[in-house]
Amino acid sequence: MAHVMIRMRLAVLRHSMRGDRATTLVSGVLVGLLLAVGTIVVAVLWPELLPLTLAGWLTGWIFGPVLSGGGDESLRPEYFAMIPATPRRRAAALLAGAFAGPAPAVTFAALLSLPVHGWRFGPLGLLAGVFAAVLTLVTLVVVSRVVVALLALFVRSRAAAAAAGLVMGSALALCGNGWAPAVALGAGGSLSAGGGPSWVDGLLKALPSGWGVAAVESSWPVALGILAANGAAVALLLSAWAALLSRRVTSVARGGVPARRGRPRPFPLVGGARAVAAKELRAWWRDLVRIQLLSIALSYALVFPLLLVTLDVWIMVPFTGLIAAVMAAGASANMYGTDGTALWLTLMTPGAERADVRGRQLAWLLVVGPPAVLLSLVGTAVSGQGWAWPWVLGLLPAVLGGAAGLIVLVAVTSLVPGTDPHKRGGNPLSTGADEGAETGLMWLMLVAVPATALPVAGAILLQPWAGLPVGLAGGALSAWGLGRLAHLKLASAGPELLNLMKHGPAPTPTRYQGRLATSDLPFKHRAAVTFCYSVAWLPLFPQGLVPMAFKIIGVRDPVWFLALHLPEVWQWPTIAFMIALGLLLYGYAVMIPLRLNSAS
Amino acid sequence: MRTQRQPALRTTGLRKAFGDHVAVDDVGLTVPAGSFYGLVGPNGAGKTTTLAMAVGLLRPDAGRAEIFGVDVWRSGVEAKSLVGVLPDGNAMPERLTGREVLTYLGLLRGLPPGVVAERAAELLSVLELDSAERALVIEYSTGMRKKIGLAVALLHAPRLLVLDEPFEAVDPVSAATIRTILRRFVTGGGSVIISSHVMALVEQLCDHVAVISGGRVAAAGPLAEVRGGGSLEEAFIELVGARAEVREGLAWLTS
Repeated sequence: MAHVMIRMRLAVLRHSMRGDRATTLVSGVLVGLLLAVGTIVVAVLWPELLPLTLAGWLTGWIFGPVLSGGGDESLRPEYFAMIPATPRRRAAALLAGAFAGPAPAVTFAALLSLPVHGWRFGPLGLLAGVFAAVLTLVTLVVVSRVVVALLALFVRSRAAAAAAGLVMGSALALCGNGWAPAVALGAGGSLSAGGGPSWVDGLLKALPSGWGVAAVESSWPVALGILAANGAAVALLLSAWAALLSRRVTSVARGGVPARRGRPRPFPLVGGARAVAAKELRAWWRDLVRIQLLSIALSYALVFPLLLVTLDVWIMVPFTGLIAAVMAAGASANMYGTDGTALWLTLMTPGAERADVRGRQLAWLLVVGPPAVLLSLVGTAVSGQGWAWPWVLGLLPAVLGGAAGLIVLVAVTSLVPGTDPHKRGGNPLSTGADEGAETGLMWLMLVAVPATALPVAGAILLQPWAGLPVGLAGGALSAWGLGRLAHLKLASAGPELLNLMKHGPAPTPTRYQGRLATSDLPFKHRAAVTFCYSVAWLPLFPQGLVPMAFKIIGVRDPVWFLALHLPEVWQWPTIAFMIALGLLLYGYAVMIPLRLNSAS
Repeated sequence: MRTQRQPALRTTGLRKAFGDHVAVDDVGLTVPAGSFYGLVGPNGAGKTTTLAMAVGLLRPDAGRAEIFGVDVWRSGVEAKSLVGVLPDGNAMPERLTGREVLTYLGLLRGLPPGVVAERAAELLSVLELDSAERALVIEYSTGMRKKIGLAVALLHAPRLLVLDEPFEAVDPVSAATIRTILRRFVTGGGSVIISSHVMALVEQLCDHVAVISGGRVAAAGPLAEVRGGGSLEEAFIELVGARAEVREGLAWLTS
């Protein structure tokens, strides 16, 4: 059964190697291999950092599927529910199928760092490393599947969705700023200098990703014990997954709808955009996936600055609301794609395109606006950073307006088609959309939304209180102007968007204008654009903006920021270079489709 | 110029290709005003594609579509106010209840709130959807989805109904109700075009019929003309071509 699953999965993969998916896949594999090589380099040069690096891969396997739509669903367990085999056997076969793909292969390349590390300890270490690499790969994949299955099964109420979002948002924030409490607790300098306090080291090795390193570094009887324990853990997880899968296929797929009591309140008797907003607000309130994504955005925004407070650094706290707005925009970027072919109703209602776009903007502002404003006001007041008031009050309306404009514009210009909501399987988290492309949209929003607020930043630098009027005017202009572009596009290319969602990307370029930006590009440009989106954040944020903030605040720990490891004279130029490089990559990714589109 | 003498729907030279596959090739149909028109054809013949192009949901590669003389692709707003559509398998506003869907779409079309409430209540009760008052559309069964789709198509009292497989997955009682509704609609001067696989149903309901096969119109006209002396099923099999191998194959099933 297992080899049939593997062949099926490979067949699905082969058929999806067309158009956008092929591009995303190729660029994804390239970026992954780059990271894998980086991991092996870590094993050679800084072996004490290997557990931390592998913990990064574990994080990817756990959070990747959750954030990008529920993990791979090309082989749904529902398809095999009637095959006469025990749940355990079915789960094992599905797991085997899960290995037939690029992600496990790339991860295995990264895990080759274990035998490389083991070579230090002689032939036995090498051998232990090889076994540990295989076992760790299985562990990562099965942990990922169990987490997704748990979420799909137990996130069935609003409270559970919000709680799951809270955990994930906090964990994500920890991935970004987790070093701060570690430094506060006395691990300062240790991670970069090597061999820090034993508790950090112990914690990283206790994670499933660290067992391999522990085995490699131990004497052979202990190593054997660790590997055996790892095998037992895999067997245990597999049983758990089998149980979860059989619950999934025998329970009704409720489409991520929370339980309700009583009749719903009557639909408000308003027309046009306000009717659409009323519909959208109900969708926000009745869709567990939306609630969970919103909870991730808000909890990330809250926890990320608070982690710095452990070092008594309050500089980020006033900007909590802004981070929340940007994150929420990132989570709402594929609005039309997730609604699927329901677009036909907008197209068949005379003149409804404008109302649809404006209503969605209004609903988004009503959902995200109040918490963003509240977090901003409270955050600035509590932080005691008086200088921040003009910045917060000026940037907030600009960012909210820019986000409200961009979410609808990006949703119609870069729509990523998924599976219609009523045809999805037992995993309510999965939209069936191309995960890579959806994640690309999210990154695009994380960059583009702050960019709409740049004029305000300029105004504030010139005259602090000029920010408020400029921010209000800029926000209103973005929301109005970008929204207008969106509904004009929807009116002119609505049938093409509907067709894209019904049948996927066209096998050959159609002759109609105004179709999708990236899917019409020649392959090499598409690959380049996706590659840029995937790597541009690296120079811009962690290697550019974060070390810049470090230098301004005066944090001495260079962590893994290249600039801070260099001599003082080179630090600012390096930071500037990194920021410029990041912006250049993003600029290329945004401009190329626009230029080629207008040229055609 | 819309007058009662204009055909309810006229398509000329409609063509659509998906990559190398030509799904619809030079389809011309004329649905006379006041007629009950059946569109039949084997699976994959191009019925759904034709209907989607005729109402403005799929842009044709070539050809025209007019509803009561109004060009669907040039004067979309006017054409769309004349037609009610039930497409096959499309999503709906999934997280609204049936009543909310009707209220929302009625308001979006600019109908007065009182009229919307009244029509929504009546449609829900006639189509027996009012018992599932609390269920969201995403929780509906396939048959219920058809029925709410039909209610949406009827809501704004259009002059032409374009229904893709309206009876598929609908229970016999509801099917009888829908037949009655559609007959009354035609008697009252409305025009209906439905697509279906069920020949007996088309024979029973329709006065005009078109047979589509391989993306082309194989025959079209008044029912009596198309079926000639025999039944519609016989005419259909003759036009589309029967396949004999089924009689011989699958021997292992009975062994």
